[in-house]
Order: sequence, then structure tokens, then C-alpha cells
Amino acid sequence: MRQWLLPVSGVLRATSNAALWLAGFGLVAMTAIVAFQVYMRFIVNASPSWTEGAAIMLMSWFVFLGAAVGVRENFHMGFDVLLYVLPKGAKGALRVISDIAVFAFAFGMIFYGGQLAIRGWSVNIPVLHVPQTMTYLPIVISGFLMCLYALERILLRLAGEPVDEPPAELVTEA
Amino acid sequence: MEYWILFGVFTALMMVGTPIAFCLGIASFATIVYLGRPAIVVFQQLNSGLAGFTLLAIPFFIFAGDLMMRGGIAARIISFAGAIIGHVRGGLGQVNVAASTLFGGISGSAVAEAAAVGGIMIPQMKARGYGADYAVNVTSMAALIALLLPPSHNMIIYSLSGGGRISIADLFTAGIIPGLLLAVALGITAYVVAVKRGYPTEPFPGFYKAFQYFLVSIPGLMLIAIIFGGVRSGVFTATESSCIAVIYALLVTLLVYRSLTWSEFVHSVLGAVRTTSMVLFIIGAAASFGWLMAYLRVAPILTDLISTLTTDPIMVLLLINVLLLLLGTFMDMGPLIIITTPIFLPMVQKFGVDPVHFGVIMILNLGIGLNTPPLGPVQFVAAAVGKISIWTAMRSVWPFYVAGLIVLGLVTYIPALSLWLPSLFR
Amino acid sequence: QTVLRSSDTHPDGYPTVEAVKRFGELLSEKTDGRYTVEVFHSAQLGQEADTIEQTQFGVIDLNRISIGAFGTQVPEATVTQLPYIFRSTEHFHNVLDGPIGDEILAAFEAVDVVALTYYDGGARSFYNSSKPINSVADMEGMKFRVMGSDIFVDMVAALGGNATPMPYGEVYSGIQTGVIDGAENNYPSFDTAGHAEVAKYYSLNEHLMVPEVLVVSKVIWDGLTPEDQAAMREAAKESVAYQRELWQAAERESKAAIEALGVKINEVDKAPFIEAMKPVYDKYVTDPALQDLVARIQATEG
Ligand code: NA
Ligand code: NA
Repeated sequence: MRQWLLPVSGVLRATSNAALWLAGFGLVAMTAIVAFQVYMRFIVNASPSWTEGAAIMLMSWFVFLGAAVGVRENFHMGFDVLLYVLPKGAKGALRVISDIAVFAFAFGMIFYGGQLAIRGWSVNIPVLHVPQTMTYLPIVISGFLMCLYALERILLRLAGEPVDEPPAELVTEA
Repeated sequence: MEYWILFGVFTALMMVGTPIAFCLGIASFATIVYLGRPAIVVFQQLNSGLAGFTLLAIPFFIFAGDLMMRGGIAARIISFAGAIIGHVRGGLGQVNVAASTLFGGISGSAVAEAAAVGGIMIPQMKARGYGADYAVNVTSMAALIALLLPPSHNMIIYSLSGGGRISIADLFTAGIIPGLLLAVALGITAYVVAVKRGYPTEPFPGFYKAFQYFLVSIPGLMLIAIIFGGVRSGVFTATESSCIAVIYALLVTLLVYRSLTWSEFVHSVLGAVRTTSMVLFIIGAAASFGWLMAYLRVAPILTDLISTLTTDPIMVLLLINVLLLLLGTFMDMGPLIIITTPIFLPMVQKFGVDPVHFGVIMILNLGIGLNTPPLGPVQFVAAAVGKISIWTAMRSVWPFYVAGLIVLGLVTYIPALSLWLPSLFR
Repeated sequence: QTVLRSSDTHPDGYPTVEAVKRFGELLSEKTDGRYTVEVFHSAQLGQEADTIEQTQFGVIDLNRISIGAFGTQVPEATVTQLPYIFRSTEHFHNVLDGPIGDEILAAFEAVDVVALTYYDGGARSFYNSSKPINSVADMEGMKFRVMGSDIFVDMVAALGGNATPMPYGEVYSGIQTGVIDGAENNYPSFDTAGHAEVAKYYSLNEHLMVPEVLVVSKVIWDGLTPEDQAAMREAAKESVAYQRELWQAAERESKAAIEALGVKINEVDKAPFIEAMKPVYDKYVTDPALQDLVARIQATEG
């Protein structure tokens, strides 16, 4: 299984990196848009009406992309105490349950996010003038990536790869 | 039954170690399916819960904090703090608190602060013979000052969760005295523990050198003035100030210090994206969970329960504080604010507690929770930097906890500590 | 017994919230207690755009909502969001209580909800922290926060003002610190949002009278017997008088509260404001059917 799993994993890593970079671009663009909003209001006294909506939309895109990357890079925060106490075998079992839970919710994101996106096609977002589909599309894309990454984790674990090591860079916030 | 599904599924998944966001999402999903209503609302709320303009402050402040850390702004502020207060017993402990206070005035993130201040201070402290546990504990508790001093995006989340009618400017101002009080309490604790353990002092570098440190840290310190002044004078809103912090941090590190390389910039961006995605995804999922709590009328039920227990405002606040501390040990700050504000705020308001005052209580209370396992992100970061286990840190953290709890008690029962300053601006 | 869940973004005690509660009582009487209504006020179940979707999908049963929240989804309803389409409260009532009102209600079926009735939302006017607005020229360069709606943005632009995007929750501090000069709303909202503490000038230019509507999810509606459907329509219509009564009282109380806070209220000559709205009408009323609807509304007495 390993010999075909690892190349697939390489492809998935590329998609994850692409999503992360796209999200990073979104953050930078969002910074520029809000700065532009302040500049136009305070210096020029002509507020563009689209900046607020555009910044929010960029944020929801990059959060959903980033959240999918989080499944692959294992940086979503959880309550890990039981895992420290339990023996190794039980630990693996719990990890599998978690990955299945992630997969299930991500599947819901595709299915229900898709319904919202389809219905939103005929609804125009005021001021931005794009279909509401743009709001719900990131849920679908993120859900799709999450499904792939959760499946990857389950299979790699079965193949004995160390997928449950803590992430290299501890990223958490409060 | 639906209550058991909502809270039971959440708890069960959490015990298994499923990431919090998915625990919240799946519990909501299971409950709405049980109720026989379209599950689509779970995913609608997942999106609209994280798509608010005021939430932009979260990625921006995290991004700005990272840039300040990588671009050397944080390091220069720490050098300055060392020059002015390093000669007190346990000097580097004091420096840590002072640096956290200064840095807390430009960052709203306790984790960013623990990473920024701890990353520089903890190795230095260890090298000078301070215990790693001491260094970690000072860092993690002092990082909470950032939550109270403006800017604080958690206060924005609180205002939002309270229905958006609580003035963010008032909340920011209200946090100043409690934040400084926490700094003083931690400074005293750091001193007492240092004396007990026989830690050294740093020589005073002389006024000339101190002045030099001050000069190079001015561009960083200016950000405090820019954010506070900018918001108060109407140049930009509290949310927009977080974006200005990013722009300013970029300008200073690129043009003044010339210390930010392209690769560090990329690291900052991608790091901020990761952290923000994790936090906001939880916030979105918490919105789904919160929607079901509203639909099931959990808040009024819980309020009735507490009011049957006691009607004494002092006891009510005590009960709420204990409950928040308990919740805070196993949940993160943002979602807890979002989930519990709609429950507790109307309740304490009935007893005449000002919403601004309650916001400060809540932020400090949940902040202490950021330093308590199982989910203690600030402590995780500090311990990771100090290369000690959480349990090593836990064993000697109690004097600092006591200091934090005393400040929490004072803030809870002396409303003027929070409300006096904002009243001056009205 | 079925509990119908209804959303409202306004706080408990607000005229629309109380009217929907009354609607629930009437419905319960008419159906021998088989249907009751529970109102989730204060946007507990989400902001307007969210709760519209929830109603459409049948997640919630009823929704009391501003027609403005439907944006341009229902073309016929867009007409009621045009500035100065209604000349007075009397005109507003005459149009909506008559055949034109029923025609617009019927148009909502296209977006999977059944609109039952209209409630009053009062007239919206501009308020700010620097000066009374007496003429269109006074609006020049002033920063007003408006809802994220194209008609609102274009209206402020047509008056020479600067329509500034800002979340509702930041408006208070925005006016206080001077990020914006003001905003616009009816008396009760201006009062309850606390904006009267920071904006001391309320100018009665009365640019908009946006109707509130009570809608029921089509998912629920299609499951009702014709008798229950009729009972629901009757109960809704019967709750209107009560809502209008409460609304007038709320306006009176809020006006008094605002004046007590030292807000200066000034009358405005509306003719130049109405004149300035021509480009807005030209932009939004292009379809001949809508042009006809506008003409019929304008021809209605009142
Ligand atoms: Na801060
Ligand atoms: Na904790």
C-alpha cells in the first residue's frame, strides 16, 4: 500500500501548500483593502462601498482554505489529555475516530455547502454584485480538501506512517 | 433529549481528542438531525459565524504580532524594558512583566505575546541561572496582560456576542487599569519568588545607555500611541486599527529597522493564516453550536437555574466566575466568549452589573483559563519555548495563579477599576 | 400541538416582536390551540439575511423581517425600498392595505416564502453629530453609515454625502470618535441603539418608509390545511392594528427620550430631496412592469 500511498500523499501536500499560499495571498489582499478603505474615507473622503464586503469574503475564503490545510498539517486544537494517559494502541484507535469525525463533517460541508452554493446562484450579494455562491463555495472546496486529507491520515496511519506527531510549528492563538 | 445530544456528542468527541471545531460542528449537526430540521443551517452558521467585519481584527492583530516578533520590534522593546527595570531583584522576571505590558499595548493576542516575549526572554533567563519553570510561568501569566490592555480583539468578540451594543472604545479603556493591576501583581509575585529562590539582578546600564535603548524602541512604542490615538480621534475604527497595526509593523521593519527579510515575511503571512484559520474555524463552528443553544433556549433555562440557586449579586458573580474558570480550563477563549456571553450577560445585567465591567471580568477570567491545561494555549507556547513539560510548569505556577485570581477578585467586586476610566471619556 | 418558531432582529418589547406574539395568540385561538408561536427576538437565530435562508429551507417557520433585507430578490418589493416612494404614513397604509399591497405580498412566493402581512417600520431620517441638515447642500461630503444595500448607497451619493460601510455595532463609537458623521434610521432604532447619546442632530428628511413583513416558510405553509392557511392569514391581518398602535406609541416615546437627551430635531423641506432622487429611480426602475407599479403607487391617494 505504501508504494502508491506516498506519491499520492506528495500530490496532496502540493494541493495543501497551494491552498496555504492562496490563503496567504488572501490575507495580504485583505490588508490592502482595509487600508484602502481607511485611506479613502479619511484622506479622500469618498468611501468605496465594496471594501467591507470584499474584505469579509476574502477572510472567509482564506479561513476555509486554511482550515483544510489544518487537517493535513494537524494544527487544529483539541483536548489531548486522554491521549497522553492511554496506551499507544488505544491512542491510535481514538485518532482514527477523530479522523472519521473530521471526514464526516467535511462531507457535510460538501453536501450542504453545495446546496447553499447552488441556491445562492440566483441571489446577488448587494454592493459586491457577485452571486451568493461565492460566499458558500469555500465551504465546499474546504470540505472536499478536508475529506481527502482525513482519508490520507487514516490510510497513512494504517501504513505505519507517523501522522500523529505534533505539528512542527506550534501555532495556536488566544 | 436534544440537550443530551448537543452537549453529550460534544463532550464525547472532545474526550476522544477530536479538534474542538469538529466537536462543535458534529454535535450541532447531530442535534438538528434529531430535531428533524434541515441540517443546512449548521453550515450556514459555520460561514456567517466567521464572516463578520469586526472579526477581521483577529487575523490582523495576529499578523501584526508575528511581524513585530520577526522584524525585531518586540526585541527592542524588551531591551528598553531591561534597561529601566532590570536592576530589581529577579530583574529579568520584572523585565518580562514590563515587556509584556508594553507589548500588550500593541498586541491583543496573549499567544502572540507569549511567543514574542517568551521567545526572547526565556532563553536569556535560563542562561542567567533562572529556573526554566519560573521563566515559563512569568511569561505565560504576563502574556495575559495583552488581553486586558487595548487593543484586544477578544473584547471585540465580547461586544459582538453581547449584541453589538457594548461600546468597543469603552471596553478598551476599561481594560487599562485591570491590565496594569495584573502587571503590578505579577511584578510583586515575580519579586517574591525571585527572592525566595535567590535569583540575581541585572546591572543598571546607565542613563545614557537606557536612553539609547529608548530611542531605538520608539518606532515600536509609537504603535501604542498610533492605535490608541487613531481610534480615539476617529481616524479609524477599532477593527481598522488592527489593519493599521499590520501596515505600521511592515513599514517599521522594512524601512526603519530594515530587519524583515522576504522569507520572514512569507513565514509571517503563512503563520498568521494558519493561526487565524484555526481560531476562526472554531468561531464559525461555535456559531452553529450557539445557534442550536438559542434554538433550544439553553440560556434562559440556565439563567433560571442560577437564579433559583441564589439572587445575591455577589454570589451570582462568584458562581459565574467559578463556572467560567472551569469552562476555561478545557475550552479556548473566543468560542467561550461567544457561547457564554449571551447566557451570562442578560443575567448579570438583571443584577445591575454594567456590561463593560462584565466584559473585563470575563476576559480576565477566561484569560487565566488560557494557562490551564487541558487546553492552555498560552502555557503550551511558553512551555514549548522553555523546553519544559506542561506538568513541570504547572507545579510552580501557583503563586502566579494566586496573583491572577486576586486581581480577578478585585476586578469583579470593585467595578470602579473597570468603569472609572471610560467614564472620563464620555 | 405545534410550536412555530419565529425570528426577529429587534429586541423584546419592540412593536414587531409584540405583534408577532399577538399573531401567535390569535392563531392559537383560531386553531383551537393546535398552533402556537414562539418569537426568538434580538437576532438570536441570526441576522436578517441568514434567517431569510433559514425560512426558505424550513429550518425556522416564521420570520418578521424588513423588506429591505430581501434586497433585489423580489423585484416588486424593491419598489417599496425606493426613497420617497411613500409620501406619508397615510399613503403608506393606503397602498399596502389595498390591491397593490396584496400584489407585492404575492410576489414573495417566487423566493419560497409566503408573505402574510405588512407591519409599520416608520420613516427613516438622517442623524449626525455636527449640524442640522436643512438642505441637500448640507449633506455635501458628510460621512453617513448606511446598510449594505445598493439603493441606500446610491441614495446617499445622489444627495452628495459619503456612504460609509461600517458594521452596525461600530456605529456608536464611530459617531463618538468622528470616524463617521452620522447614520440614518427611524425614531425607535435611533433611540434604542443609544446613538442619540452621540448624535445630537436628527433631521426629519424622511427619505424612506420600508415596510416590515411577516413571512412563513413555504415548507410549513404547504403542509397546512386550507382552513389553517386561512386562519394564519386572518391572524396576521388582525395583528396589524395592534402593531400600528404600538408603533405610534414607540415613536412618541422614543421622540420624547431623544429630546430628553438634548437631541435637536428639525423639519426639512423635502421637495429638493425628492428631486435629487431621480437618478436613483432611473437606475432601479427600468422594467416597464415596475415603472407601472411605481406609477400606480404614486397615483394612490394619501
Ligand atoms: Na492588548
Ligand atoms: Na485552558
